[in-house]
Amino acid sequence: MEKEEIYERLNNVFRDVFDDESIVVKPETTSNDIEDWDSLEHINLIVAVEQEFGMKFNMNEVTTMKNVGEMVEIIISRMN
Amino acid sequence: MALTSLVFAVFCTITVAIYFIVPKKIQWVVVLISSVIFLFYNNLTVGTIVQALIVLLSSYFCGRLIYKYKENPKKSKAFLILGILLILGQLIYLKYTNLFLATVNHVCNLFNMDYQFQFVQRNSLIGISYYSLIMIGYLVDIFRGSTRAQDNIFKCALFMTYFPILSSGPFIRYEDRKEELYGEHKFSYESMCGGLVRILWGLFKILVISQRIGMFVDTVWADLNTYRAIFAVAAILFFPLQLYTNFSGSIDIIMGISEIMGIKLPENFTVPFASRTITEFWRNWHITLGAWLRDYIFYPLQKSDVIQKLNKKCKKVFGKKVGKKIPLYISMFIMWVAIGVWHGGAYTYIIGSGLLQFLFIFLEDILGPISKKINNKIGIHTEVFSYRLYQTIRTYLLFSFSMIFFRAPSVSSAINAIKSCLMLNNIGTLLNRSNLSSLLGNIGLDMKDFIILAGAIFILFIVEKLVLKGNVRKKLFEQNIIFKWTVVYALIFAIIIFGCYGAGYNPANFIYRQV
Repeated sequence: MEKEEIYERLNNVFRDVFDDESIVVKPETTSNDIEDWDSLEHINLIVAVEQEFGMKFNMNEVTTMKNVGEMVEIIISRMN
Repeated sequence: MALTSLVFAVFCTITVAIYFIVPKKIQWVVVLISSVIFLFYNNLTVGTIVQALIVLLSSYFCGRLIYKYKENPKKSKAFLILGILLILGQLIYLKYTNLFLATVNHVCNLFNMDYQFQFVQRNSLIGISYYSLIMIGYLVDIFRGSTRAQDNIFKCALFMTYFPILSSGPFIRYEDRKEELYGEHKFSYESMCGGLVRILWGLFKILVISQRIGMFVDTVWADLNTYRAIFAVAAILFFPLQLYTNFSGSIDIIMGISEIMGIKLPENFTVPFASRTITEFWRNWHITLGAWLRDYIFYPLQKSDVIQKLNKKCKKVFGKKVGKKIPLYISMFIMWVAIGVWHGGAYTYIIGSGLLQFLFIFLEDILGPISKKINNKIGIHTEVFSYRLYQTIRTYLLFSFSMIFFRAPSVSSAINAIKSCLMLNNIGTLLNRSNLSSLLGNIGLDMKDFIILAGAIFILFIVEKLVLKGNVRKKLFEQNIIFKWTVVYALIFAIIIFGCYGAGYNPANFIYRQV
């Protein structure tokens, strides 16, 4: 899967979870950039991403990923 | 050994002096020895040695076995569970036996059974609630692959018992702290000054503000019938400030000592009373406890199959928006009960720092969007000073209310305190001049004390405002030498002269004895 496609699908997940159609995620996007992305929503986002890509993050990744770029790297590593 | 005691000051001075004299390779050994002394100071018995060894040996050996079998998830998980059970077991046995017995007694009462269990006295070590959870976090981190196990049992012991954090935290994570804890540190004049200023600020908060408020609050709580109405209200409103200046002051002392030794600790407070909601408040209050519970209880719960299945079902039944909230509230409820239980083995803590906080956050989550809509409709500006002030005051009042239960020795006493606030009969007699002066006299504070308190709280307010804008100490050290040292000396003299060292204490004695 190409990176662009991953970002496109992620975008949909983000829009769905945060209920905001204007969201456009970039590698450097962090929780500071999206109003509702707090520690409560973080786990909902994680689960939604897992369902979208049919993969699992481990708890270490859940608590340490710093931005969307890192999230995408993990998704790519799982796909291969 | 209280953080504000002379013994502790001498203890830290000796530790720091030896720390910078010995070869850098063994600096961590010095801290370990000091930590062991601190841990068992005034409490060295066979029982306390055994309880410390249980935690140390279970975290050390289980940690190594979890790491050894990392390719074999079944075995690795078995050792993780074993380690957690051992650590949690000793914590529950030592701290929560009475909570369990009280619950059994209540149930017996409910069914009109005559049997009542006697409460037991358990002697637990200082810092048990901190180091037990820290070591559970250590094991879970090894299991998750966030860190590797420590091979040296003495280094593992240092991580568990690092003395500055035993009395008031903050919670630390092995992976984040290991390099600084075991690393080599050169003496740095800047760190020394920075650390000392932070210690002084902590002492100021505790001795000048917290202790003084404490005298008032304690007197009122001891006699809620006499100190009723306005006194009870004032005591309830002042208690969060007493708690904050005590707790965050302790953290300042702890961070200061660590900074001098070159060990950075995570911040535990970021101006909590500036928060506009209780939800935001808990992001700024006891931050490291929140982070611990989030990473080790809330996230695993939310990701668990049970909650996920419930999530799917609820979404189907209630729709996406409402459906996803129900499992979230269940996980949050469990987490807040855990926070309440962690604060102490009594119902008062479970209600005050657990259930009520959950209730407030739950209501904020439900009512927030509604109030947003109403505000939009009738055109109330929410991003203006007056609205922010209203929200900040509301948050403070809600927190003060919950802290009635936290402060009360029992649930019935908390209810008495609320009743006492409402005892408005004969308010004129209560507040007449002679009665008022005798009531205030019994508190042990005179007019001068109230002026000092007002001034000190004002200084605290200014400093907290500056903290919101950036690093206050860095800014202070950038100033001219005269200004810089004037501030430092003012702080020192304020602590010596205006510090409240307990009832009957005369500050003059202290000053003269120093000469």
